[in-house]
Amino acid sequence: MTFTQPTTRPPRYRRTRARRIIRNTARALLPRRIGLRHRILISFGAGAMILSAVLAITTYGFTRSSFVQQRETAEINQAFANAKRVQTDLLANPADVIGALEQFGSAQRLLYSNGVWTSNSKGFTQADIPTALKTRVVTNLKAAHMIIDHGVNAALIVGIPLEQTNAFYFELESLRQTEDALRSVFIALMLSGAITTAVGIGLGLLVSGRTVRPLVQAAQAASAIAEGRFDTRLETTQDRDLQMLTTAFNDMVATLQTRVERDARFTSDVSHELRSPLMTLAASAQVMHSRRDELPERSQAALDLLIGDVARFQGLVEDLLEISRFDAGAIRLINEPLALLEFVRQAIAVSSLPRTDVVFAAETDQILVQGDKRRLARVFANLIDNARIHSGGKPKIIIQFADDDPTKSRAWVIVEDDGSGLIDGEEEKIFERFSRGGSAGQRAGSEGAGLGLALAAEHVALHSGSIWAENRHDGIRGARFIVELEIFVQNQPALGPQRNTETSS
Amino acid sequence: MAIRVLTVEDDERIRASVKLALEDEGWIVDEAPTGEDAIAIFQSTPADVVLIDIMLPGIDGFELCRTLRKLSDVPIVMVTARVDTHDVVAGLEAGADDYLTKPFAPKELSARIRALLRRVRPSAPGHSKLVFGNLEIIPDEGKVTLGGKDVPLTKTEFRLLCELAHDPNGVFSREVLLDKVWGHGYFGDGRLVDVHIRRLRMKVEVDPAEPTHVVTVRGLGYRLQS
Repeated sequence: MTFTQPTTRPPRYRRTRARRIIRNTARALLPRRIGLRHRILISFGAGAMILSAVLAITTYGFTRSSFVQQRETAEINQAFANAKRVQTDLLANPADVIGALEQFGSAQRLLYSNGVWTSNSKGFTQADIPTALKTRVVTNLKAAHMIIDHGVNAALIVGIPLEQTNAFYFELESLRQTEDALRSVFIALMLSGAITTAVGIGLGLLVSGRTVRPLVQAAQAASAIAEGRFDTRLETTQDRDLQMLTTAFNDMVATLQTRVERDARFTSDVSHELRSPLMTLAASAQVMHSRRDELPERSQAALDLLIGDVARFQGLVEDLLEISRFDAGAIRLINEPLALLEFVRQAIAVSSLPRTDVVFAAETDQILVQGDKRRLARVFANLIDNARIHSGGKPKIIIQFADDDPTKSRAWVIVEDDGSGLIDGEEEKIFERFSRGGSAGQRAGSEGAGLGLALAAEHVALHSGSIWAENRHDGIRGARFIVELEIFVQNQPALGPQRNTETSS
Repeated sequence: MAIRVLTVEDDERIRASVKLALEDEGWIVDEAPTGEDAIAIFQSTPADVVLIDIMLPGIDGFELCRTLRKLSDVPIVMVTARVDTHDVVAGLEAGADDYLTKPFAPKELSARIRALLRRVRPSAPGHSKLVFGNLEIIPDEGKVTLGGKDVPLTKTEFRLLCELAHDPNGVFSREVLLDKVWGHGYFGDGRLVDVHIRRLRMKVEVDPAEPTHVVTVRGLGYRLQS
């Protein structure tokens, strides 16, 4: 078997370069940054404008030529008739040239007879007659006509040699009326062109709105889905083209919903299934613990390990369950107004460091917040746990009004530690589930599953608050975690827990 | 006399471990795997407190709660899977006195049971009979009458009423009532108080929708008045 040697290919760069130039030119010519809506609008506007311009120009051209021709023919016929009468008069009375010119009509006339120019009007002299016309009539003895510029208007000059008299008759008729009529037509056409263009733009607006509306709806639906509202669907339409989009979109959401729900249900099911054995483990461990003194030393040590890890396991399952509820959007907050300072003190009392100091700024002891007591307490318990495990020292809690908020509508609860601080770029990562990046690796020891901060972030978000981490500003090494909560304004004193049946979003 | 606890739980292993733990407290523990069994056992040997898992084969925990309530005023602790479901309120409305979520520490359970079995605070001398209009309370006898007629209250409802009666016209916050009646701390569930107040009103008010005795003080708590 033989293999063909790969032949050397002609250098492709020339072609790619050409392609690149074409692409760049096209990109420069086609304004891509202009949105679909504007592109439709521009197409409609420009289309209407071009169409009306073409129509107007054509109409004007035709109108003008037929108008002028008609007028010309009429004038020339009239001039010949007039010439005939002048000739008759001259033949009858050759001396009375003026009389022959003035006896009828309104046209301006000029008679060239025996080398003398006679005019019936000051506005028409021999200078007005172009040489070409004069030559043709006087020298060639041929009747001729010509349109000239006469003053502000155009005028028609007809020249006719008068037989038997050796005289030449010239007549000038102003074309002002014709020009006025044409101007009116022109203005009318311009106006209708402008109206057509405006209508085109209006139609463009309508059509672009219609065209873009499904896209806007799809975008809104997509962001609703991104926020976790998986029951969002696009309305089905009769439009066959749009149907493709809506059907595909809705199918996608349905698939996504099924998948997300399945994942959430799996986590939830697993955690639920773990509860029963955990229950047995916890109860049995307690029974053994009450007889700890009766056990040999090695069994005691083993029992201590067992009890410690049963508790840790229990915490992990609880956290997983809570996380799965977030994912399923099934959290219902049991909200009630809470006195922030008292609440924080109570939350610390049940945390792993119940003696943590609380420092509060002036007036902050009056702050009320709206929240789910149990869940908010977990936030602070988790932050204290994090500080304890991470800094290995004593965290401190500070309550104050938000730094950037002169209206005092938001409160900050800051958990500050004097540990090793945060590594650059770690500030957001530590809120991810099971995060163990950077110095967070230190907390991977025996405690904490890495869900504590993730849960805290979810809980704070459910309370419409924010949470973030940063290094201390006061020059001391260490991190601080800030929980920002809206201050609850109590218009009407409400009693106790108000069930918030709204599912999380 | 030893306290007798009836645990109703379909998981045999949980039942066994809870029994072991409660027996360590010196209590007698009866076990029932189903609601039907529980009713039969309760009728032959009434327990001092019943522990019911909501998820049961056959009749469920709510139904069992209601059936037991018809038979007795025994304190009932129910076990639910979650705190924030309607299960909690539904269970309390079915007649449960307190609830725990799984997995719970047996120590916590025994603490709850002890709180539920606590006796009413001894009344001050000369106050053997407390009168609030047509409502009369005789704490030492555990008796309450409305317009002369006996009102059947559960032990917890009675203790709640007595706490409120202890300081006539005083306002009791939810937290205080949770602490005094259920022995819960700051993080107790206020819904316990709300549901029990509602149940109490059904019994001691002529019109529970317009309470005249157990009244709400907006933003503060509850008060008993005549």
